[in-house]
Amino acid sequence: MISLLLAAVLAQAPAYYSPAEAEALFNASNDAYAREDYAKAKEGFEKLVAHGFGSGDVLYNLGTTDLALGDLGGAVLALERARRAGGPTEDIEANLALARTRQLDKVVGAQSEEPFLERLALATPESASTAAFLLLWSLGFLSLAALRLLPARQRNLAVALCALSFVFAAPVAGVVAAHVYVRRGLDEGVVVAQALQARELPREGGKVSFEVHAGLKVRMLEESGKFVRIRLPNGLEGWTERDGVGAL
Amino acid sequence: MVLAALLGALSPLPALAQERPEFRQSADRREVGTEDTFRLTVTITNPPDGSSLKLPQTEDFETLSKQQSTEMSYQMIGPGPGSIRRVQKWTLVMRANKVGNLVVPPSELVTSAGTLKTEPVPMAVKKGHVEDKNADRAAAGSAPMRLFDPFQNFPFPQDLDDLDEQSPQNIPIPRSDSDLFLRATLDRDQVYVGEQATLSLYIFSRVDLSSVDTLSMPKLEGFWSEDVDSPSQLSAEQRIVGGVPYHAYLLKRRALFPVKPGVVKIGPAEADVTTGFLFAGRRVHRKGNELALRVKALPPAGRPPGFPTGNVGVWRLNVEPTTAQVELGQPVTVKVVVEGRGNMRSVSIPPLQVPQGLRAFDPTITDKALSSKGRLGGRRTLEYLVMPQQTGTFTVPAVEMPYFDPENERYDAARTEPVTVTVVGAPTKVAAGPGVSPEGLGKNVLAEAQTLRPLRYKAAFATAAGPLWERPYVVPVMLAPVALWLGVLGAGLVRAAAKREDPAARQRKRARASRARLAAAERLKSTGEASAFFGEVEKAVVGFLEARLGFSVGGLTRDELDVKMEQRGVSANRRAQVLGLLDECDLGRFAPGAGGAGAREETLRNAMELMEEWGA
Repeated sequence: MISLLLAAVLAQAPAYYSPAEAEALFNASNDAYAREDYAKAKEGFEKLVAHGFGSGDVLYNLGTTDLALGDLGGAVLALERARRAGGPTEDIEANLALARTRQLDKVVGAQSEEPFLERLALATPESASTAAFLLLWSLGFLSLAALRLLPARQRNLAVALCALSFVFAAPVAGVVAAHVYVRRGLDEGVVVAQALQARELPREGGKVSFEVHAGLKVRMLEESGKFVRIRLPNGLEGWTERDGVGAL
Repeated sequence: MVLAALLGALSPLPALAQERPEFRQSADRREVGTEDTFRLTVTITNPPDGSSLKLPQTEDFETLSKQQSTEMSYQMIGPGPGSIRRVQKWTLVMRANKVGNLVVPPSELVTSAGTLKTEPVPMAVKKGHVEDKNADRAAAGSAPMRLFDPFQNFPFPQDLDDLDEQSPQNIPIPRSDSDLFLRATLDRDQVYVGEQATLSLYIFSRVDLSSVDTLSMPKLEGFWSEDVDSPSQLSAEQRIVGGVPYHAYLLKRRALFPVKPGVVKIGPAEADVTTGFLFAGRRVHRKGNELALRVKALPPAGRPPGFPTGNVGVWRLNVEPTTAQVELGQPVTVKVVVEGRGNMRSVSIPPLQVPQGLRAFDPTITDKALSSKGRLGGRRTLEYLVMPQQTGTFTVPAVEMPYFDPENERYDAARTEPVTVTVVGAPTKVAAGPGVSPEGLGKNVLAEAQTLRPLRYKAAFATAAGPLWERPYVVPVMLAPVALWLGVLGAGLVRAAAKREDPAARQRKRARASRARLAAAERLKSTGEASAFFGEVEKAVVGFLEARLGFSVGGLTRDELDVKMEQRGVSANRRAQVLGLLDECDLGRFAPGAGGAGAREETLRNAMELMEEWGA
């Protein structure tokens, strides 16, 4: 009960920045970027993100500033987050491609592109897919109900509507499931440390299996203490320090 | 008189001196060991014609070799003709067979005038080896001339000492097998750990040598060793061993690098050698000598902390990048080269430290062994692939490799200078300004470039809410139509269940319907047609019967109905009452004039009585 009250109070608490202040900070950061004062620009964008203004636009600008600073790990992390927040856009993809060319790691034997489910989730609008599924789902069951209520002569229309609803609802449900899988079942991260050693066991003296470097996108499988088990796109797995990987 | 003087002056032939011959013998040493040799020189000046020499012969000494030489000189003394002086010299290399104060007996020269004898030569003989005090002076006076050295530069400078092999004079000739023996020598008798000592294995022979069939080298435990010279063909060089000329054949020369301090013994080598030629060949087995080498530990004074003990020798270090400026994303190769004298394979080179912003991968190592004058050395090249990770100017710090210089017996260090590498951004494909066209046409060439996209200058600050499927109302919205459908389905089931009746209830219901129909017939009693009235009564009775009997009555003849009622246990009176009532209805409907008011009243009363009595 107390926690509920606290949550309610916090929800009603005013934001750290007013919209005008956030706008001013955003513009000031952009100006700093234009003056090539990338450190100041980054500081401004990071403040916005830290205080709840981390929209896709702010994250994109933060990632681009990181890239200009040479912070490859931070750049890829912010750009990937921007893509998740606002969907893939041409400028995000371009800067991500540029970041990948600067990456030190070349994962041999990796898939040429992201797995199907992730591509499907990226290519389809999440909310529209969910709304469409809800609509088709409801229509299908309403038609089923109508079948019981309507006189025999009027049941054909209900049957056709029901069949169409469920036929279309099934693939839309798959799209929604892909979104749910990507959001819930797929913990991804980006290596933000300059170099990270991946060990066979989650401890300091564990045998080093391989080394990864800033900007590499990895899958996070499980955590143990201060270590996280990562998997590379080609299936290589190892335990590395959790602090060196930024979660998406 | 004048003629005699003239003849004397013009005489072209000098007279052979007819003096008394000088005859003497001497030894180059007066004190020797049983393993040493000495030279006995017998000199005869102007030996008479026909004279014969008897060299000393005794059991106390053995003669290892004998050489004879003759010198002739022309002397002019005074105004007369000169004289010719002839000196015969015999040189005997001898060795004592026993210990003690011995005497080399005199030599004898037998002439027509008598026998001349030299003085005997006393010789103090001790066991083993006695150092020859005159040997050093002799050696100092005969320093070999230095030859041209092709390795004029480091690591083998021109003034590098020749391999200081054991002097042949000091090589003992074995008492047996003196014609052919195997000898191993070391160029030094003490070295530091990791310093090179060179083991040479020779065959000394005074007979013709055909081949060396097998050669067993001693086990070199306690050493890291490597061949310096291993001739594939026998090649002889003249050596004088203890005054005895020998053909020396080098079989093997091996560099030894001791790995631990102490006195290390090297066992004898063995060889099977074939002497002579063709059918006269003879195969003999020879066993060499043992050697001992004193290995000194590296001095603790001045030793740098963490000093790698393999770094012994004289070394030089150099660091060189392939380019001083590199584009971001392009690698630069930095070569670390160490070269010098010593055991290159044991040298430990500190890794290249690169500043942040550069990343150095594990080096590729290339070794090139070099040797000169029996000294091993070489060049080790470590090629580091350095990948820039950002633009800027970076300084690769100096590399320092400590080593112990055994020649100067001190620790030293090979150092490099810091190396600067400038990393510049990769050139883009864009020529944004005028006049920078690659073709020089003055056009503004706009091409696709892989550069940073610009920032967004407008932002929507609202953080996107969670996905729609995470909203709390989604699940109810999904479940609602399902619930509705299930509700309708349930209602239908309930309704169907409600429609299902048990036989008694159905009978009662049908009985009630029949009574209702009978009530309707009562309304037709006075107003309606007779056929309608009786028809309604008949339907009421039939319905009542079906409700009571549980089977369809319609279509049955009276007899069939009677039989079925009897089968259901209906009494005869009631069966007669039913059949009579049905007959009344038929009569009222179809017989003209039979459906009067009285008949209607009676039929209605009978039907009501039937239903009330049967329903009771």
